[in-house]
Amino acid sequence: MSKPRTTIWDRLQHIDRRVLYTLIFVSVIVPVFLPLSLPTAVSPESQAFFDAVDALPAGGNVMFAFDFWPSTTAETEPLAVATLRHCFQKDLHVIGLSNVGMGGPSIADRILHDIGDEYGKRYGEDYINLGYKAGYQAVLLGMATGIGNIFPTDHNGTRLDALPLARRVTSYDSIQFVVVITDNIMVDYWISLVNAQSGVPMAAGVTAVVAPKALSYVQSGQYKGLLGGMKGAAEYEHLLNSPDKASRGMDSQSLIHLLIIAFVAMGNLGYVVTRRRDAGPPRDRG
Amino acid sequence: MIVGFFLRGKQVEAVYNEGLLWQSIITGFSLVMGVVSIVRVHWRKLTARNDGAWYSAVLLLCFVVMAGFGVLQGTGRGTRYDAIFNSIQAPMMSTMFSMLAFFIASAAYRAFRARTVPSLILLVTAVIVMLGRIPMGQFISDDLPTWVNWIMTVPNVAVQRGILIGAALGGASMSLRIFVGIERTYLGQ
Amino acid sequence: MSELFSSPLVTLLPTAFFTLALYSFLYRDNPLFRFAEHVFAGLTAGYYVGLVFDSILVDQWWVPLSQDHKWILLIPGVMGLMLFARFVPRIGWTMRIPLAFVIGGTAGIELVRQLHGIILPQVSSTILPLTTFNAVIMIIGVLCTLIYFFFSKPHTGALGWIASAGTGFIMVAFGAHFGYTVMARVSLLIGRIQFLFIDWLRLSS
Repeated sequence: MSKPRTTIWDRLQHIDRRVLYTLIFVSVIVPVFLPLSLPTAVSPESQAFFDAVDALPAGGNVMFAFDFWPSTTAETEPLAVATLRHCFQKDLHVIGLSNVGMGGPSIADRILHDIGDEYGKRYGEDYINLGYKAGYQAVLLGMATGIGNIFPTDHNGTRLDALPLARRVTSYDSIQFVVVITDNIMVDYWISLVNAQSGVPMAAGVTAVVAPKALSYVQSGQYKGLLGGMKGAAEYEHLLNSPDKASRGMDSQSLIHLLIIAFVAMGNLGYVVTRRRDAGPPRDRG
Repeated sequence: MIVGFFLRGKQVEAVYNEGLLWQSIITGFSLVMGVVSIVRVHWRKLTARNDGAWYSAVLLLCFVVMAGFGVLQGTGRGTRYDAIFNSIQAPMMSTMFSMLAFFIASAAYRAFRARTVPSLILLVTAVIVMLGRIPMGQFISDDLPTWVNWIMTVPNVAVQRGILIGAALGGASMSLRIFVGIERTYLGQ
Repeated sequence: MSELFSSPLVTLLPTAFFTLALYSFLYRDNPLFRFAEHVFAGLTAGYYVGLVFDSILVDQWWVPLSQDHKWILLIPGVMGLMLFARFVPRIGWTMRIPLAFVIGGTAGIELVRQLHGIILPQVSSTILPLTTFNAVIMIIGVLCTLIYFFFSKPHTGALGWIASAGTGFIMVAFGAHFGYTVMARVSLLIGRIQFLFIDWLRLSS
């Protein structure tokens, strides 16, 4: 029996993965050297996040949760940096912490110090890093009655009563707003344990994987605003008028999305044509 | 924990807060359980001189170095522990996850076929959302971001909410099962 | 010469080396990738030891115990050590005590959290006056989704039609979720490429 001919429609469904990987790599590289500078449309949820932080009075206290793993820093670090810049621009005091043991406090420390230095902020007076403690449910609930109950010292081992900001901010009662930057289930826990029980208003910056679920909390009013992924960070940078890595990355994002859509379309085109061919000619009804 | 939510008073709050602190401390101890297992497995591989034993030696050496720096010098800013994490560990985690971009593109190309009406709905929605979330989408249609926003905030939220409510009811019933003793799998029974 | 050693090309070399070693897996599994993989596993295990020692044992347990004389903290300390009894078969049963404490506490927190923090707010923001098209779609979508996942009765007749509508809604949500997931994964790759070409090689500003 002769081997069936392989047509272009069959080949469209079986392109070598190395070709695909190479095209993806090129799509990411090209905008690095040839920026496209595409316009950024701001979503209502991102605008709401920005407006909520912008409405806070100077000198207010913001709890900033760096609840993300190092694996997603490409999305979450631009979110943290952009929102932290806004907080420092507004002269808000920032109490940083992390509920992710693997790297959370180190990343929080680095970002807080880098952005703090940019705005001339002083550690202990304008911002502190509480670090990490295990058992996020116990941590979130415990801070309602006293931050010092859960965090006797800051990330560097300094007792909290030695830090002026920590002496003023002792529980959620002293906090005007919470910013949650996360890539995991902490987006649920902050809302259901802190916002629900202590009433502190909050907004979240999440990875794009978490964003579809987190939108439920925005629609119900539990989160004041939401930033989703690198796009959300790019929107916030646009609102702050300080384009950075996220805005830069949107060019590559655009090209890769178009590439993936093209490949899916090619695969489906080949599938539809070969399915019709393999089904054979329509049967005679005579 | 339930009493602490409903009742107020100094004694109740004191017991409640102490319970939360104990929970935090005990959970911290449990983080090291996995470490003990991994060290035992690789120590056995190393002493048995199996194939790839030298990889186990590399693992154990890195473990000793990192744990040593953390215990002896602390984990705060400016320590060697912090430097190794920021320069080697964190970038490696990012790199491992970034490879998913290649795999998801390859999987989407090979497996994403509109064989049935529901899969066609899924495919079309995915394409609309992927186009609407990039700046280039505006060149196709000025209304595309608005349609995507509607998809995300109405039908998507409806489904996510249904799943959230269902999962929350399941979680609450699991807690009740633990209280009355029906659920004891966590004790190994 | 000292300029070269302080340039990102040299200072970021370990980071770039391990990044490229891991990417070599895209071609095929190789000794360089396996070496990087084991370095990562070892560093992660060591990281947790340092974290637990500094953040929990010292900060949260030893400092209050020794400086503030909070002797009651001896109890959670002993309970924490009991967790390791699983490695000694004769006293392995004692591990259940701290486990029961943590699971019991978590169950109490979760019961209140799920009911008060999730179900009540989510249900109250679904039951809205049906004065807009979006409110109608919202309540229909939520009900259809909940009925789709109700498996105690076969999906036949009217229940079957509603479950089918639920399927449609779920496919829209999953399609949207897939689009966002692609965006997320691609962003991670963009981050690493930006590091290699901008931060390390300085080929672009």
